[in-house]
Amino acid sequence: MRQRLLFILPLFSGLTAAAGGFDTGPQGARVLGLGGASTAYINSIAGLSTNPGLLAQWGDSLTRISLGGIGQIRRSSFIGQDTYQRTDQDLAIQPGGYFYATRALSKRVSFGLALTTPYGYHTKWPNNWEGRSVIQESQLSTYFAQPTVGFKLNDNFSAGVGFVYAFGKYSQRRALGQYDDLSAQTQFSATGSGMGLNVGLYGRTGDNLAFGISYRSGVNLKMKNGTATTTGVPARDAALYPASTGFSTQFNLPSTLSVGIADRITPKLLLTFDFTLSGWSTLDSVKLNIDASGAAPARRISTARRYEDALAFRVGAEYQVCPKLTVLGGLRYDESPIRDEYVNPEFIDANRLGASAGLSYQLGSRLALEAAYAFEYGQLRTGRANQIMDQVANVSGTYRTATHTASVGVAVAF
Amino acid sequence: MNIFYLTPLRRTGLVAVAALMLNACAPAQDTPTPTTSVNVSRYVAVGDSYTAGVSAGGLTRTSQEYSFPNLIARQLQGASANAAFTQPLLEAGTGSGYFDLVDYPASGIPRTRRIAGQAVRRTVINPTACGGPDTVRLLERSKTASALPQNLGVPGLLLSQIETAGLGNETKATPGGAFNPYFERLLPAADSRTYLQAVTDAAATATFFTYFQGLDDLLPYVRSGGECGPFPNTSLTNLMKANARKVLDRLRAGGQPGIIAKLPALNTLPLLRLGKGLQLQARLQALNNDKALLYIEDPINLGPAQPITDDDYVLATAIPRVGKLTPVLVGTTTLMLPYGRDARNPLRDADVLDNFQELQRAKSVLDAYNNELENLAHNVYRLPEVDITNHRSALDLDGILFNNVADIISVNGVVYSSEPVRGNFFSLDYYSLTPRGNGLVANAFISAINKAYRANIPAVDVNNLPTVAH
Repeated sequence: MRQRLLFILPLFSGLTAAAGGFDTGPQGARVLGLGGASTAYINSIAGLSTNPGLLAQWGDSLTRISLGGIGQIRRSSFIGQDTYQRTDQDLAIQPGGYFYATRALSKRVSFGLALTTPYGYHTKWPNNWEGRSVIQESQLSTYFAQPTVGFKLNDNFSAGVGFVYAFGKYSQRRALGQYDDLSAQTQFSATGSGMGLNVGLYGRTGDNLAFGISYRSGVNLKMKNGTATTTGVPARDAALYPASTGFSTQFNLPSTLSVGIADRITPKLLLTFDFTLSGWSTLDSVKLNIDASGAAPARRISTARRYEDALAFRVGAEYQVCPKLTVLGGLRYDESPIRDEYVNPEFIDANRLGASAGLSYQLGSRLALEAAYAFEYGQLRTGRANQIMDQVANVSGTYRTATHTASVGVAVAF
Repeated sequence: MNIFYLTPLRRTGLVAVAALMLNACAPAQDTPTPTTSVNVSRYVAVGDSYTAGVSAGGLTRTSQEYSFPNLIARQLQGASANAAFTQPLLEAGTGSGYFDLVDYPASGIPRTRRIAGQAVRRTVINPTACGGPDTVRLLERSKTASALPQNLGVPGLLLSQIETAGLGNETKATPGGAFNPYFERLLPAADSRTYLQAVTDAAATATFFTYFQGLDDLLPYVRSGGECGPFPNTSLTNLMKANARKVLDRLRAGGQPGIIAKLPALNTLPLLRLGKGLQLQARLQALNNDKALLYIEDPINLGPAQPITDDDYVLATAIPRVGKLTPVLVGTTTLMLPYGRDARNPLRDADVLDNFQELQRAKSVLDAYNNELENLAHNVYRLPEVDITNHRSALDLDGILFNNVADIISVNGVVYSSEPVRGNFFSLDYYSLTPRGNGLVANAFISAINKAYRANIPAVDVNNLPTVAH
């Protein structure tokens, strides 16, 4: 089996892929501690959102619930290419959370529900920073609800399929720097929804080695009925920038293909490995289609993104210190989907190397407290603006990004 | 039992997590230290209106503070801590007056009003000035008049006047006399030094210079539609070339490093660009919803009026009058006809810079002058190259800025163009710059300094400068 799994390696290495982007990382305290390598990991039902194939593995008579909160800080510093001015992003915590529940319906069929916040970011620059007319603040939050059915194919294999309903919120604001009034700005906010599918397979060879493979389709978040408001525009240009108008946009969230193995080295030590390929290339550009209003014609603000598919490699380890305490650790490498030419301050990302640590403490036989923290550090990115491309709003300079993610939750079985 | 055990543990955990998050600093990056390989501790700027900081048709204390040399000097301080830069600052509220925006109608030509300058010492009316009677205003003398300022930019200074004795002496302030009130206020009273002598004196202690002069020699001719001002011919070319060399020889007397800037092409200035023949004709047709052509007088007055071509330029200052009904004697009757939009009522010569007779003449002077500046910079003074690809030692502002602005540029998300008002580059007089335009010019010089003198002087964040100077 070990040899057979090796075929996966060339499959991925042949792709010029870079996972990362604005995925918020593992959706659960325990899997966060594990570094996210959870495609073949069944010690937390949080694997449900990664691989529905795991669901039937919790097919005993217990109802399991796992819930918790996640907080993520993604912060970048910027140095202007020509001005040498350093700007640090304001501190902004992107809140997240998760809720999982599983229940067996019969020996072979289980039902589960996953509520997660898998994608999102909150970029907040100081209001008067160098690139304020490119972006001041941008936030995307997504909420995924995934009812799932799992089937036990035989003692060693199980499969699952989940339906994904996604809801998203987007807001953005940028200064109108052509005016002296520092408060002149345009604000956009919209909500929207989309649907997707998540399928997965889990298998075991003996007691020590397990593998998982899953595929989640991309989700198109269609946001209509947004509002665009403009403030601080002098009277002479009021007709160009209506105080309030409608706009629409769309976010293509990526598909993910994950392959993972879990190997129990000793009865107390479990190692997990994951490869994830995220299909970010469906995110080609962010287009804000602003409706006509009064004398102002309809217009479109288009920001090219041209994301590339991105690969993430994750390793996790779980060690049972004593019957009550399990500690977790993980390492991950996330490639960025953002090409050099499209580095833009609205969302900064870089190839990131990360480490995580977590613990699960058994408070009772059926109740565990879980907590984890992960840190990721990105490569230096260089954004280049070309003044002659007057349709493209960007700022030249270098960015350094780090993310801190913390999660606390409980897991209950009854 | 468990509940009691849980609470303190959880609390500690939450506090730890919260503390960790609040201390989550943004990752560090090293900011480059501004350095330069040449001494920039005493910078002297030589030039005319642009260098002095004229904006929206006037010079005031604020417009002087946003002159491009002052913006450069501010940035140089990063590399040379005690580098002071003195300007002949006017007192707040005084100055030559300026244009203020009233409104900006759909025609694309802003409506302005003239705000008069205050605290004028004396006025001299010159009835025979180019472009009609003109008032020469003697302004309050600069507080720094005892010692020459480092910004030697003088509005309206002609290269042909640099050796005119008494150009800055009040006794020469007579109607029609060669006198420059802006130069007068740089000097002590009754000082008859020539501009060239002033440059010589200032250059003696200078360690670095910029030279951006000559546009004011051609502007009177352009502004008057070719009716008056120094006539652009070979002798003007030779005079400008020779006098530029005289000034530069003084600036380079001690081998000082510096940047010599070439002049921007005349038709990048909105004064001409806004009235580019066929584009203006199309705009007027769209605005009036008709098909009327624009007519100009035959430049050599031989034949009848002729349709405008795309290489003829209607002066921006004349555009508001185009299409207005004016009385014209046709045969024996007087008809009211739209100005310029009827073959019987063509645009007067004074309102148009026509291609063959006027613009080409001015252009050939400007081109020859620019070539000479490049020759001086590259071959005579052997200044380091500012454009390594094309081996140029003089700064070509057209290539790196003015031509790009004419085609619209985006600077950190803010669009700059040659459009008045919204373009934020040119000021309301159609040729001088806004503070932001001066910031972009300063950045062009800074990038040239960085290339030529292995420096890394930080650029100005132009979007932080005001859009109007007064």
